[in-house]
Amino acid sequence: MSARSWAPWILATLVLAVAVHLATVWYLPHFVMNRALAKMGAPNMIHHGGRVTAASRGVVRPSPDLLYSTCPFDLSNGPIEIRATVPANTYWSVSLFDAETNNFFVRNDRQLNGKPLDLIVLTPKEDREPHQLPGRIFVRSPSEHGLALFRTLINDDSHFAAIDKARRQSNCAPLTK
Amino acid sequence: MNTALKILATFVIGVALGLFATWFFVFRGAMPGGVSDGPWKTNLSVGSASGDMATRASVAVHGLLALNRSETVYYTAVSDTGGEALDGRCDYLIAGRDPAARWWSITAYAEDDFLIPNPQNRYSISKNSVLHEAGGGFTASVSRKPTGNNVIPVADAPFSLTLRLYNPDPRVVADPAHAALLTIQKVACP
Repeated sequence: MSARSWAPWILATLVLAVAVHLATVWYLPHFVMNRALAKMGAPNMIHHGGRVTAASRGVVRPSPDLLYSTCPFDLSNGPIEIRATVPANTYWSVSLFDAETNNFFVRNDRQLNGKPLDLIVLTPKEDREPHQLPGRIFVRSPSEHGLALFRTLINDDSHFAAIDKARRQSNCAPLTK
Repeated sequence: MNTALKILATFVIGVALGLFATWFFVFRGAMPGGVSDGPWKTNLSVGSASGDMATRASVAVHGLLALNRSETVYYTAVSDTGGEALDGRCDYLIAGRDPAARWWSITAYAEDDFLIPNPQNRYSISKNSVLHEAGGGFTASVSRKPTGNNVIPVADAPFSLTLRLYNPDPRVVADPAHAALLTIQKVACP
């Protein structure tokens, strides 16, 4: 068989390879996030992870100095409300990630200035903001599914019990009308 | 060769090549768009939605759920200050002063991006845990035979180090290639 007759097949193989490569790269963030969310338990409630060790293999490159709490969210039935008491004298933050792994919101303990957090995560389509209250923060999620991630720094091992207790005051639930 | 076989071969080889390219560039490859500061590399796109398709795939695989850089700057070192790959069979000395941030930590990770098991259950040093010298600087060793306080235990295999700067100084955020970070000197190898 001549080289000429192979050419279209080789070209088709390369075009297909490029298409498969681009499609998988494009879809990868969604796939990775879906897999991570599936491992994190029931949506719209908070899950408190234990201390990170070499046995912690849920998400890559975890920090052993942080306590992680997660609230996978599903906004298909409306907004959710996240309430948290900020632990004193240590780094704390809540961050929101959409279904494509993008970090679209973050607040830390210093920004909250010691005040409790009252955060409403709105659906992508919600056109009206729920009841405004003093100090209440609204943020619109780009996707219906995503994750709220709380980080609390264990700045001193001897404070572990107090830090752990403080972060367990947080709550994440569908917004009651 | 009949046409059906050619179509089948085109399909199988095309899909395999495409998947291989994704594995090679995204899973095995380094993150695109990075900047270096000595042995420390960071990527300005981490945690933001502004990265291109390839960067976002790479961040999803290697830095899932990372924060944006005004909150945390993540630097990773896969080689020492001399440019040689970090290898757990060698001993290293990390030296310098506290980087400009509210809080920092350095953590060792195995090639699978998870923590390295060790009898002490120690995986990192941080601003709070490290013992400083009188002048304010510090040194810490990275070794498979850890001794003393300022130490990060590793295993007999290649590893990487992640330096986290929480609430970094705005100058670090603006110019992460010229932050005053820490050196990683190779001390001894078998």
